[in-house]
Amino acid sequence: MGSRSSQRMSVISLQPDALSRVVASLSGETPSELRQRAMQQFIKRGFPTTRDENWKYSDLSNIIDISERWLAQADDAPLEALDETQIREIQASIDATWLVFANGHLHEELSSALTTAAISVTTIDDATDISIDEPLADLNAALMTDGIVIRIGENKRIEKPVGLLFVDRAASRPLTSHARVVVSLDSGSSARFIEYHASSGDANHYSNVVIDVTLGNGAELDYVRIQNRSRNHSQTQRLSVRLGKDSSIRHFGIDLGGVFTRNDLNIDIVAAGVSAEFNGLYIGSDKQHIDNHTRVDHRVGPATSVQEYRGIISGRSRCVWNGKAIVHKGADGSDATQANHNLLLSKHSEINAKPELEIYADEVKCAHGTTVGQLNDNALFYLQTRGLDRQEAKRVLTRAFATTVVEKSPIVELRQLIASQLEARLDELDDGDSA
Amino acid sequence: MLDITNLEVRTGDTDILRGLSLSVKAGEVHAIMGPNGSGKSTLAQVIAGHDAYEVTGGSITFNGNDLFDLEPEERAREGIFLGFQYPVEIPGVNNAYLLKAAMNARRKHQGLPEIDAFEFLKLAREKMATLGMDPKFLNRGVNEGFSGGEKKRNEILQMAMLEPRLAILDETDSGLDIDAMKAVAGGINALRSPDRAIILITHYQRLLEYVEPDFVHVLSEGRIAHSGDKSLALKLEEQGYEWVREAASA
Repeated sequence: MGSRSSQRMSVISLQPDALSRVVASLSGETPSELRQRAMQQFIKRGFPTTRDENWKYSDLSNIIDISERWLAQADDAPLEALDETQIREIQASIDATWLVFANGHLHEELSSALTTAAISVTTIDDATDISIDEPLADLNAALMTDGIVIRIGENKRIEKPVGLLFVDRAASRPLTSHARVVVSLDSGSSARFIEYHASSGDANHYSNVVIDVTLGNGAELDYVRIQNRSRNHSQTQRLSVRLGKDSSIRHFGIDLGGVFTRNDLNIDIVAAGVSAEFNGLYIGSDKQHIDNHTRVDHRVGPATSVQEYRGIISGRSRCVWNGKAIVHKGADGSDATQANHNLLLSKHSEINAKPELEIYADEVKCAHGTTVGQLNDNALFYLQTRGLDRQEAKRVLTRAFATTVVEKSPIVELRQLIASQLEARLDELDDGDSA
Repeated sequence: MLDITNLEVRTGDTDILRGLSLSVKAGEVHAIMGPNGSGKSTLAQVIAGHDAYEVTGGSITFNGNDLFDLEPEERAREGIFLGFQYPVEIPGVNNAYLLKAAMNARRKHQGLPEIDAFEFLKLAREKMATLGMDPKFLNRGVNEGFSGGEKKRNEILQMAMLEPRLAILDETDSGLDIDAMKAVAGGINALRSPDRAIILITHYQRLLEYVEPDFVHVLSEGRIAHSGDKSLALKLEEQGYEWVREAASA
């Protein structure tokens, strides 16, 4: 006895001096007061660590490392040349009105003019009410590259999807980007949004995107997120949606790329009559880390939330799904369903799946189910007896597993694109380490 | 066409087939009957190539080729079809897709081009009409949410589309009401031809009233204990399997 085991404290915050210096240099631009406030708050709280229940399986040390190296050189870092071909290819494959955030900055030349009688687009300033409520949102506000506010007017129905393209290129040195988007759909309006993440370049990169959405009474939002980052890019992303009376959201997210991905989807039901449906698919291979955290707060009933996430996990990848539903006191008539199904294709891959229900109301309907499994041997044999070889039979079953959730994607025009991206991804699993 | 000689099969520590021999020629319909656990389904699964069974002795040849050299999908492409006792539900794979993929796998093996989409639909609708199946079943997931009778009709549909050389139907009659039974029997009879063989595995004589077999075999204790014509099925219906067991162990 006598000797005390030393508990190593991990470095959990950016160096305050370097951070202050960079924020001060950014504060020449608006909003300055907001940045300072967010920075102070961030310095106080620091990055979350794996000791935090919500970050138990997702270690941010790589992201901290990229950020530290970026801070050290930020003053004189030139903007990397963009990969315009990549951007134009994405724009050509999806019919949408695009707002392009290149390395976190709104790129006017590559963006469409969005403002019409129905939509207004403004930039975030000190007066904008944006969320600075947890460390990554704080850091995002302090280091915000560009921030915009999109507002859909009362009773306006926007048919053509609004595309938010987050594209980054880190060719020779580490880069971070912190874009922020605030969306509000006024009462009676409807819109469709596509959030697309892409990247290129050989240097490590970290992007931290925060999107806050508010739906007015009776507003309807269809939303699809596609994450197809390159393999040396890390990202944290948070989408928070606050839903007013009788409003509804249908959401689908797919994670194909990236080395480290953490998505937070927060659904806040603050009035009766809300319907929220959110689904997702994640495909991990090699050493990818993909973490999807969802949280739905039923504050008022009746309201319905339904979610289904599916994962295909191969190689040495690790995926996390954590779905939390909280039915608050008095939110009678709440109906919350969560499902999470995982296909483990390799004995070296890992899934940490956790459904959580906290119920403080009396009359509620809640259900959750989680499965982890391999391909069904009986189904494989059945397909083989119909003449499909084993490899093809595996592909058919894997594709089918994914398709059942892809079909829930609310923007129908995107399904073909998602299907072909899925197919390309499954090819990689076949060629690689899915054994 | 199919020659099984002294076949011995086990799974785990249990011997299931113990020296089974059977010869099936083109144009013939054979019925294999027998009590639960006599090895009927095992025989069907082994012919189709299921890897849960270990073949410890004997041989099976199909048109002179050693079946054990072939993967299940190769056996299928050679023209062996197994109608499952419990057809598997495969959500997310649509019925039309599987039918087409199965037909094209067979056609590719035969050196034929892929089936034309229009021809395929026309053929599928035709066959479905004779089986009393709603064409909507084409766009549903394979067997997904199908009733017992619908699953069996779907197996017969696959068989009708694939036109196998050897069809083995494992208890296709179980759990069918009389209308479904007639539809399924009609599907089987439509396929009878001089260059095709059919093996019906069944528990009951009922199906054989509609599909008349050339030969009836009784399986007991892992081998064929008795063979005869269709009158054997009637005798089994009246007297049960007890006498077969006694004769076999005598």
